[in-house]
Amino acid sequence: MRPLPFAWRSLSRQPARALLGLAGIAVVGALLFDMLMLSRGLLVSFREILDSTGYDVRVTATEGVPGLGPPLEEAGAATDALRALPEVAEVVPVRFGSVSARARDGRTATVALLGTETRRRGEWRVLRGGDLAQDDEPPQMVVNRTMAEDLGLAPGSPLGLASGLEPREFRVAGIVEFPFETAGESMAAVTLAGFAQALGAAAADEADLLLVASRPPHGGEAAVAAIRRLRPDLHPFSTDELLERLRQGEFSYFRQVSLVLSTITSFFAFLLVTTLLTVSVNQRLGEVAALRALGFSRRRIAADLLAESALLVGAGGALAVPLGLALARVLDAILRQMPEVPHRLHFFVFEPRALAWHGALLGAACLAAAAYPAFLAARLPISATLRQETLS
Amino acid sequence: MLLPALLLLAAASAAPPPDILVSRTLLRDRELRVGDVVLLSADARGASARPFRIAGTYEPTPDPSRFTARRLEARLHLPDMLALRGGGAADGADDSVSAVNVALADPADAAAFTRELLARAPTVTVAPTSAGDDEHFVVIERFHLAISIVTVIGSTAFLLALMVIRADERREVAGLLRLLGVSRRRVLAQALVEGLCIAGAGAVFGVLFAGATQGAVNAFFQWRHDTTLVFVRVTPAIAGRCLALALPLGVLAGVFASWTLLRRPVLDLLRR
Repeated sequence: MRPLPFAWRSLSRQPARALLGLAGIAVVGALLFDMLMLSRGLLVSFREILDSTGYDVRVTATEGVPGLGPPLEEAGAATDALRALPEVAEVVPVRFGSVSARARDGRTATVALLGTETRRRGEWRVLRGGDLAQDDEPPQMVVNRTMAEDLGLAPGSPLGLASGLEPREFRVAGIVEFPFETAGESMAAVTLAGFAQALGAAAADEADLLLVASRPPHGGEAAVAAIRRLRPDLHPFSTDELLERLRQGEFSYFRQVSLVLSTITSFFAFLLVTTLLTVSVNQRLGEVAALRALGFSRRRIAADLLAESALLVGAGGALAVPLGLALARVLDAILRQMPEVPHRLHFFVFEPRALAWHGALLGAACLAAAAYPAFLAARLPISATLRQETLS
Repeated sequence: MLLPALLLLAAASAAPPPDILVSRTLLRDRELRVGDVVLLSADARGASARPFRIAGTYEPTPDPSRFTARRLEARLHLPDMLALRGGGAADGADDSVSAVNVALADPADAAAFTRELLARAPTVTVAPTSAGDDEHFVVIERFHLAISIVTVIGSTAFLLALMVIRADERREVAGLLRLLGVSRRRVLAQALVEGLCIAGAGAVFGVLFAGATQGAVNAFFQWRHDTTLVFVRVTPAIAGRCLALALPLGVLAGVFASWTLLRRPVLDLLRR
């Protein structure tokens, strides 16, 4: 009989023990799988959101977060200069602000306001109604679902926006979804002219951010290099550079937590299987000695134990994948309740490499777990053990 | 407050410049020293920069929502800050602030104070600063609690497997004891005490291990994020919760494993 069927029979003889071991490995494996998904989940999810906008380079005045640092002055000239670069296909200036919005029925809300040009790529997704148009009177705006629901707005609704005492009337062109809108946040976009009207104090020729789309086949890195050459005073970031910065900074806590928990869960799986196999071997010393006396080699005994370990870890690890995916949904829902997290951002994202790492770590745990019991079984003195078994 | 440009001035000007404090991180990263005169500007390109003298350094209040950010910060006297921003009387910038910190005589009055202030000035935003109210803390706590629950489920399966093995090892002894007249309840009580001891010893070891290693964990995360935030703290309440969870689970595991054995006939236990 081959080692695998032999191991199956050994495990089947103690079904309660095998099932409990399997359950333990499945639960621990699920946590391990989740931590592997968490280790890169934010980066993968954030990249998806960034890519969905259609822009692969961001330009700011300083290294600060757009909207928190000082704005880029003479934005019009900078935009025109960047548009002339052969590596650049599109440049869109963006302004961020906060205004108070008042609907006709008197309902009010604080709104995160974006000032930009008409939509070129994936700056937002139109859900209902029309898109933002340039130079209309009253000025147009697109609003997100939260704002539409909170203020009872629909395409065509009038709305007052104010940052000071005098509100300025706008008209809702459509209901849209912004890539980075957060749960419960009212958000709207207007043209740059509309932005200057809504925020009277805002300087007209400033931008918090320039969104740049590189021209194929140059790519983002070439566009960044060209911008740095042309305007060394600006701070352009490709998507990769931005993600690397986030990986080192803002997202690093969850990466470290996932590393610590992955290590602990792998060790836990190893400990669990080692204990089960070691106890199993200690209970079957007579059986192992008899097999050795019948001509089973040391290598064969070790192969049987390895097969037993592989069956336990393999089945537990396979169960851990659906269990881990279900658990990840729960944990993701918890973490996404954090304030200021974009509603499209996920902490746990499935990737084939997470599955590969899951298999590799459990495989290593399986090998390491089988090592000690295999060592015990292989070193067993045959005649002394058989004599001991007969006497007892 | 984050300032966009900070340049070391080669020589101090004639009139003594106003004093500022800079954060420990800024002092270290830009290789500054107390007594240095630096130029600060509100403009990204350093326009209209003014000289300031570093009077000292400070540790920014740890902020859990920003602990991954490098705290390159400086503290200025409010008039200096307003002058630096270039606000004139026309736009009211010389008489405006972003926030006002309020220390209450009795911190327990925070909710009542918030209500009253909002009633009198509905346009202001009032937020208590006590850590427990921070949404980040609440969410992180929920996340760690969920992971703890999963870990406990995995550990319970492990403990059950161990107890089943232990019960199986003593199958014949249990049979003999039953033949000698020892009641099922007595054998079960023995298993219960054993489960309690294993779970108790494991939980105590876990608490001691966590207590012994919390310093290393904090040191690592504080070093990694350059913050004074405390990430792990084993409190008596947490240790108590750990024991309160582990002990009943140990008892249940012991009873379950023994009951699966003891419900069999005595001769079956003796393999006869």
